[in-house]
Amino acid sequence: MKRFKHYDACTLDEAVSLLKEFDGKANIIAGGTDIVGLFKDNVFAESPEALINIKTIPGLDYVQEEEDMLKIGPLALLEDLAHNKLLKSNYTALAEAARRTASPHIREMGTIGGNICQFSRCWYYRLPNNRFNCIRKGGKDCFAEEGENRYHSIFGNVKDCLAVHPSDTAPALIALEAKVKTTKRVIEMADFYQTEDAKKFSILDSDEILIEIQIPRPSESTKSKFEKFAIRKSIDFPIVNCASKVEFEGDKVKKANICLNAVFVTPYVPKKAEEYLEGKALELDTVETAAQLALQDAKPLSKNEYKIEIAKSLIKKTLLACK
Amino acid sequence: MSSKILTFTLNGETIRVVVEPTDMLADVLRDKLNLIGVKKGCGQGECGACTVIMNGDAVTSCIIPALKAEGAVVETIEGIGGPGKYHPLQESFMDLGAIQCGFCTPGMIMSAKALLDKNEQPTREEIREAISGNICRCTGYVKIEKAVSTAAEKIREGK
Ligand SMILES: Cc1cc2nc3c(=O)[nH]c(=O)nc-3n(C[C@@H](O)[C@@H](O)[C@H](O)COP(=O)(O)OP(=O)(O)OC[C@H]3O[C@@H](n4cnc5c(N)ncnc54)[C@H](O)[C@@H]3O)c2cc1C
Ligand code: FES
Ligand code: FES
Repeated sequence: MKRFKHYDACTLDEAVSLLKEFDGKANIIAGGTDIVGLFKDNVFAESPEALINIKTIPGLDYVQEEEDMLKIGPLALLEDLAHNKLLKSNYTALAEAARRTASPHIREMGTIGGNICQFSRCWYYRLPNNRFNCIRKGGKDCFAEEGENRYHSIFGNVKDCLAVHPSDTAPALIALEAKVKTTKRVIEMADFYQTEDAKKFSILDSDEILIEIQIPRPSESTKSKFEKFAIRKSIDFPIVNCASKVEFEGDKVKKANICLNAVFVTPYVPKKAEEYLEGKALELDTVETAAQLALQDAKPLSKNEYKIEIAKSLIKKTLLACK
Repeated sequence: MSSKILTFTLNGETIRVVVEPTDMLADVLRDKLNLIGVKKGCGQGECGACTVIMNGDAVTSCIIPALKAEGAVVETIEGIGGPGKYHPLQESFMDLGAIQCGFCTPGMIMSAKALLDKNEQPTREEIREAISGNICRCTGYVKIEKAVSTAAEKIREGK
């Protein structure tokens, strides 16, 4: 492992000024379950010079409902979210997503902020000692295009990169129409990931910290659900996951939100399927059509066509569970 | 130099040790403090061999920078019992043959202990859940599950 400095920040201001001082050459560390692996394996060509620990900043691990909004601090642990009663009953998709993330050990360390800010798990990107200098690292090729692409995008590339986003909680937050507050702005969770700059995944600038997640309280007639397909029940990243939220008016859908992840470079919202469901009753044939529409534009690679059927099945399961 | 003095409670004793930012807790425990019951398998948080209890929770010490343990209370397999006075979990793992090669055992036991410390009457599902971050390539988990529930019984009876 290359050498780096370690700072324990006591306040957000201190963390931001340290980030500014290192001018893009330092990273935040929260639970460390993602970033430490990257450091240990020398994944980056130019290794960052410092890690700034924000776990030492008090008061950032809250989960509280205020007026019509649930507010979650960036340091809330996944394990706590998974077992939170309020979340389980009113923000079900998020509790289930947290519950299905990694293993209990990782959930006791991993934070919600770190979960949505985590880097790619593409095996070319992640291979130790930067053996594949891919597009994400300033290279010219995406090795998944002709290589082992069974876990990669089924909706094409962005700037030639085919790696999917691995977060389990991001699709739940997007389906629940969450907003993200940072040290600089408040934005929709659906706009949190960007595709302009291949070297980063979220819109966060190098001196910006995520400070709160805000979720509007779903109405009484709303339900949400998360499902994940992975090889093992524990430890494994999603091959495909899906969160749906459905608001009803009588027995008809007033509004549907669906978000898939691990199928595209960023979480993927199938707009056509969402629109189609409006005003319809959630029956087997309507969810079937919604799933077909959602995957209509899929362009699978040489080894991942199977993900299409999995995605369809997760969409149907989550929608029907909202009934 | 960027090395620092780390102060934490280890198996009931206050420890001060010089560490580098790049040192992981598992390495400090094994290499500097000679607690080799902490095993290193994958080094990436995937197998659970390096599990220790930190502030009451089972965590994988191979991906925890040692400096993150500042002020923490850490327990390893060496601290929970040994020859002469075994912990009920250690006893039942031995008695019920829940050990084959033994590589996963310290991690398994620490995950199970974190559970039993919080919940003396875990269900089968809760036991399975607690050890779901620990990989065993020998036993097939059935005996491990049984050993944990037997230890839980012993702990309850002992009270
Ligand atoms: C064995 C294993 C299995 C896993 N399985 C899954 C899985 O199934 N599903 C899944 O979703 N994830 C999985 N993960 C990824 C796991 O790292 C995340 O789920 C975890 O939530 C990351 O949180 P953290 O606090 O540890 O992040 P860290 O490692 O501390 O940080 C991750 C990234 O986010 C940045 N960051 C963290 N907090 C902030 C903040 N507040 N503001 C700005 N930037 C920030 C850091 O700079 C870093 O780049 C797995 C990890 C391991 C090791
Ligand atoms: S060695 Fe730490 S989890 Fe495998
Ligand atoms: S006893 Fe050999 S790995 Fe578990």
